[in-house]
Amino acid sequence: MADGSVLRPDLSLVLERITDGFFALDAEWRFAYMNAEARKLLHAREDFLGVFWLDAFPKARGRLFEREYRRAMRDQRPVQFVEYSQTANRWFEVKAYPSPDGLSVYFRDVTARIEAQQEVERTARRQQALIDFGRAALSGGSYESLVTDAMELVRDVLDANVIELYEYVRPSGTFRVRQALGWERGSALDLADAPLEHVRRAIENGEPFVSSDVRIEARARSLAALAKVGILSCVCVPIGSVRDPLGALVAYHPKPRTVSAVDVRFVEALAQTLAESARALESNRRMAQVLESIRDAFVAVDRELRVTYVNARMASFWSESPLDMIGRPLAHFTDQFADDGISHRHFREALEGDRAVTFELNFTERWLEVRLYPFSDGVAAYVRDITRRKTEQQRIVALNLDLERRVAERTKQLELANKELESFSYSVSHDLRAPLRAIDGFSQALVEDYRERLDDQGRNYLERVRKAAQRMADLIDALLGLSKVARAHISMQPLDLSAIAADVAGDLRDGEPEREVEIEIEAGLEAHGESGLIHAVFANLMGNAWKFTRKSPHPLIRVGRLPSGEFFVADNGAGFDMAYSNKLFGAFQRLHAADEYEGTGIGLATVARIVHRHGGAIRADGAPGAGATFYFTLPGSRTEE
Amino acid sequence: MSTKPYILLVEDNPDDVELTRRAFAKNHIANEVMVLNDGAQAVEFLSGAVREGRALPQVILLDLKLPKVSGLEVLEHIRADRATCLIPTVILTSSKQDEDLLAGYRLGVNSYVRKPVDFNEFVEAVRQVGLYWLVLNEAPPAAGTGGVMS
Repeated sequence: MADGSVLRPDLSLVLERITDGFFALDAEWRFAYMNAEARKLLHAREDFLGVFWLDAFPKARGRLFEREYRRAMRDQRPVQFVEYSQTANRWFEVKAYPSPDGLSVYFRDVTARIEAQQEVERTARRQQALIDFGRAALSGGSYESLVTDAMELVRDVLDANVIELYEYVRPSGTFRVRQALGWERGSALDLADAPLEHVRRAIENGEPFVSSDVRIEARARSLAALAKVGILSCVCVPIGSVRDPLGALVAYHPKPRTVSAVDVRFVEALAQTLAESARALESNRRMAQVLESIRDAFVAVDRELRVTYVNARMASFWSESPLDMIGRPLAHFTDQFADDGISHRHFREALEGDRAVTFELNFTERWLEVRLYPFSDGVAAYVRDITRRKTEQQRIVALNLDLERRVAERTKQLELANKELESFSYSVSHDLRAPLRAIDGFSQALVEDYRERLDDQGRNYLERVRKAAQRMADLIDALLGLSKVARAHISMQPLDLSAIAADVAGDLRDGEPEREVEIEIEAGLEAHGESGLIHAVFANLMGNAWKFTRKSPHPLIRVGRLPSGEFFVADNGAGFDMAYSNKLFGAFQRLHAADEYEGTGIGLATVARIVHRHGGAIRADGAPGAGATFYFTLPGSRTEE
Repeated sequence: MSTKPYILLVEDNPDDVELTRRAFAKNHIANEVMVLNDGAQAVEFLSGAVREGRALPQVILLDLKLPKVSGLEVLEHIRADRATCLIPTVILTSSKQDEDLLAGYRLGVNSYVRKPVDFNEFVEAVRQVGLYWLVLNEAPPAAGTGGVMS
């Protein structure tokens, strides 16, 4: 047995030539033969013959090799298996044929095949992992859990022992560890004597930084620091772009090793997904911030009118929390969204017509203005509370209606009153006058027909009766004139007041040609008014002046205009006591005895009424014996600055 | 039936009737004066006169404010009938206010007299009216009455 004669020489020649490894063990598990290929694959010693196999290859103990060989011998049936040999650091496919004399073992190196197979499996796993990860990112889970998932995937797929996720801090341009896996304490940041150049490099170049052995790296001094804590290789992949960096995903390994391009691409794919989700989250966050910051309510719904976004203000309308509303149909919150509800109709209109729609809505005692803007996936509704505006509007409308009604009512009353006044004054002018005519006429008849039977006193009494009747007739005329002013329609026309005053002055002189009264009229007095009525103003005021200057030694009447635009009629006549000035413009108010100065007591009341009806004002100034001045304003009077 | 020219005075106030008569007398207007007290009577009288061929007045003095049918309505009636439309008709008014109203009827009325409170003025007004319509003015050819006059 010791000389290897177990096999015939010709057979041994054959076995030496085959490319499979081959060895034979005797019944005591000692090597009886080993061909050249086996010796090469197993790095066998020269003096292997007769050595107990597990003494020659101790690493096989307890592994599949030992278990399968024993099973073959026990059952006396061939076995076949594939196992990784730690002796040879190769994968072997093994076939063992037992016989009562021992075991013949054929094996061949299938490392390349197995590794290819493993690579296929790993690729499949990575792809599946990427798909799962992408799905998680899309499903809208939290960014935190997404980051954790990504890091665990990198650890598992790359078989790395430390994973870090760096976050780019925008304003300062620095970065910090957001999350780390695998460190017992601290992080690479704490260890770095240079500020993580490898991470910065990856971020700034926008491409992965890979080092298969940090000890021979000259590109980044930070790597030397890593070596001190037992990290010998690393993969550092940027998240985001050079223009818009978000951070970096870093995997460290304690041994020097070449990281495959496939692995790097895997990490890049994860980083890409992370970047997209971070951007989406950021843009959502900004959008949400904007939408929450506006004080009006906002809700977005999908095409089935389910809530996809709602701000706090909107949710408060329904006393809901925004989160609880997401995903639920609007119809759940209000009847308005039942199929025939007003809101439902408008939302449909916006969606189907693809145009903005605005409508108003009465909702639990509030008025809301709803603006709908359709977009590709649904409708955004922007809701403003216009309750205040609406109630103001309604109040104004109600007020206006009430006002119109009251004006109409008053107008009617006024028209009625005017009619009554008209028929009253008609009656007055006819019926009060008739008895006066009789009084006057028959007094006259008495004087004429019964002259000889009356003495002087009798005739005097009859004259008094006639005078009284005359005077009452004048009063009636004046009263009628006053009521006519109140009802007259005023059509404003430019008037030459100087000419009107001159006209009145002429009438006065014609009436009493024997009197010598100086009358000064300022030229160029102009105003707007109804010519007949304004004529009456001057006739009354100048008539008064004419009358009350009867006892003045040098009667003077002045008509003019103050710089303020006020017109005036002044005289140097009897004047009046200012204490009674408030009585001047009342009807039937007289400040002088009837036998001293004649008059109806209606004139100034008529003047005041005419001035007021023109929108002007009138006042008087005077003192007993010092004359009187009447000031009045009219529209269109020129003022001097 | 009298064929002597007469004056028709339509006036409801007996005082005014008396004063008018006196004014005529003072102006030596001796024509017979027929007095009717309201507008309805006046319309009836004139229609009857035309229908029955009685003599029509030479001048009609018409108070404006009359019971039942107003002076203006009587005037309208007078002007509407071919037989009476040419009779000189003088409106007597009490008030200045009626002047505006009368402006619209100027064409239909031959003259109007405001009855002043001062009797002397009234006498003067009546004198002028009488002078013009009864003395200076020839009565119009008796258009509607010609047949019956003879």
